[in-house]
Amino acid sequence: MTAIETRNLTKRFGDVAAVEDVTLDLTENRVHGLLGRNGAGKTTLMKLLTAQLFPTAGQMRVLGEDPRENVPVLSQTCFIQESQKYPDGFRPRDVLSIASGLYPHWDEQLARDLVGEFRLPQKRAIKKLSRGQLSAVGIVIGLASRAPLTFFDEPYLGLDVVARRLFFDRLLADFAEHPRTVILSTHHIDEVANLLEHVVLLDEGRVVIDEEAETLQSAAIEVSGRAEEVREFAAHGDVMRIQEIGGLATATVHACEGRAEQAARAAGLQVAPVSLQEYIVHRTTHATSSS
Amino acid sequence: MRYRSVIDMHFVNRMQAVGWQPIALAIAFAVVLAIGAILGAQGPEAVAGMHEGMRFNGAIFAILGPMIGYGFTSMGQYFPLALGLGVTRREFATGVSLVFLGNAVVYSVLITIGKIIEVATDGFGLHIRFFDVLYVGTGPAWQTLIQSFLVLLATMLLGAAITTVFLRFGQGFLWTAGAVLALLVVALLAGIVFLDGFGRALLDLLTMGWWSWMGVIAAIGLASAAVWLLLVRRTQVR
Amino acid sequence: MLDESKPLFIAVAEQIEDGILDGTYPEDTPVPSTNELAAFLRINPATAGKGLNRLADAGVLVKRRGVGMFVAPGAADLLRQRRRDDFARDYIVPLLREAAHLGIAPHELTAMITTEAPR
Repeated sequence: MTAIETRNLTKRFGDVAAVEDVTLDLTENRVHGLLGRNGAGKTTLMKLLTAQLFPTAGQMRVLGEDPRENVPVLSQTCFIQESQKYPDGFRPRDVLSIASGLYPHWDEQLARDLVGEFRLPQKRAIKKLSRGQLSAVGIVIGLASRAPLTFFDEPYLGLDVVARRLFFDRLLADFAEHPRTVILSTHHIDEVANLLEHVVLLDEGRVVIDEEAETLQSAAIEVSGRAEEVREFAAHGDVMRIQEIGGLATATVHACEGRAEQAARAAGLQVAPVSLQEYIVHRTTHATSSS
Repeated sequence: MRYRSVIDMHFVNRMQAVGWQPIALAIAFAVVLAIGAILGAQGPEAVAGMHEGMRFNGAIFAILGPMIGYGFTSMGQYFPLALGLGVTRREFATGVSLVFLGNAVVYSVLITIGKIIEVATDGFGLHIRFFDVLYVGTGPAWQTLIQSFLVLLATMLLGAAITTVFLRFGQGFLWTAGAVLALLVVALLAGIVFLDGFGRALLDLLTMGWWSWMGVIAAIGLASAAVWLLLVRRTQVR
Repeated sequence: MLDESKPLFIAVAEQIEDGILDGTYPEDTPVPSTNELAAFLRINPATAGKGLNRLADAGVLVKRRGVGMFVAPGAADLLRQRRRDDFARDYIVPLLREAAHLGIAPHELTAMITTEAPR
């Protein structure tokens, strides 16, 4: 089934289109990456899908229905916002207790375990928590809610390495036991690359990439060798970037389903993989410069 | 029953929920008692004057501050969190309405009991007026009950309505509203100064019957509720 | 931990293959489950599953209903044969190319290999 379906979804603030003409189908029970630079429209898109904002144009279906004022859909949806504001005087335990009453699949034991593991001070005012602890509040809610559709918007800002590992491990373990649709939005792509099954890249409000993560991981290769040989090779390929230093050159080219690699090896050039993060950087800089 | 969570939200901050209102009332009450004690020492004439003058004693308004604050925080702080946790706007409005109603009932009963005691003990033995004042009714106790209920409810709804309009239309609204209000005051003053009979008519209007006044307060409350409920369905959380 | 130069699921499969070849997973014993692999390697369970299925399709692993994946009888030999076939492409060809760059003739290369071998 499709967890999220949008058709030409658009949101404008005045003349600025934060989300423009977004058409997506996100399959359920997978981990989707919603990637893009700051201001690319990731948060706005998630706010539309969780009915916090209303679209200017276009259609959307979340868990098969229009999410607006829809209790069955919204109680199955958990959106952990990087910029979530908490009322004065609220402590983590207050927010957790309220969240536990709102999500039908809430797992109290898991919530307690996570609070312990993240060393979250339960009784300190949220306003006095560090950025990392604030992120931990969101992570605990997001995981313990067991919501069939969970959005994590930059979930680990301010978390140290140990806590980030903990988040990934817990997310994976829980996802494996209780499959659900996870939308992970971030601009730290390297850290999440191995968790993602499907990737959506937004740039200036538009969808630039909507593709399987595996396809993207082998979508480009880096070819290097003597400058003239690389240039000669690049002349026949789909080149994203070429860099020269002295007599040597490195070209990032589209893999063309392995044909580029074969050709490069045949030409005696060295071939190296291009990580998801590098690939996306290429695609975003490319898209911006051409517009 | 998810609106229960909205009610729970309002009770997380205990001072905000049930603390400031009684404290504000108690402080105002203590001040009035102190005035009563001081003036009481200056002879019966002063006491009689005070008793009459205190008919307009606005100390009871001390409770309205925390009440309008309730409206502000409900929309300003709890609304974004509630929506963030997947509460619908309708569920939120239901929960908040119940919180407002509950507060109006509790404090109007409290004020009415205070008034009954005040009248029975002749101003707590000091001839003061705190509960038995114009703003919540100097008539029979049932009138105080209705009047304080309406005033409290209207105040909270007004707070919620103002914050919602602000969320919806932003800063511009505040400036426009301020300007319109200032214009109205200037117009009224000009009317009183320059138009024969305008001042008298205004006075007549202000001294209209109790039921008419209840109608006015109820109308303010209803208008606020309408604005709030209408806009809350369209309010977005940026 | 994983070979970054290949698609993730192939790297997963190769890691299990290495385990079979070096005796970590003897024949007829279970290999880690999809979820165990995913958690251990910090990768998506779907990717881990794809890696395991690739091995099952190649006859290296066999599925036992309700129990999990087991190393197939003869899996180690199968893998060794396949890797021997790949050896020339993966190691000899690049070796010869680099040797050519350095001006090492094939017979010199043979001599170098013979000298290094006893160590």
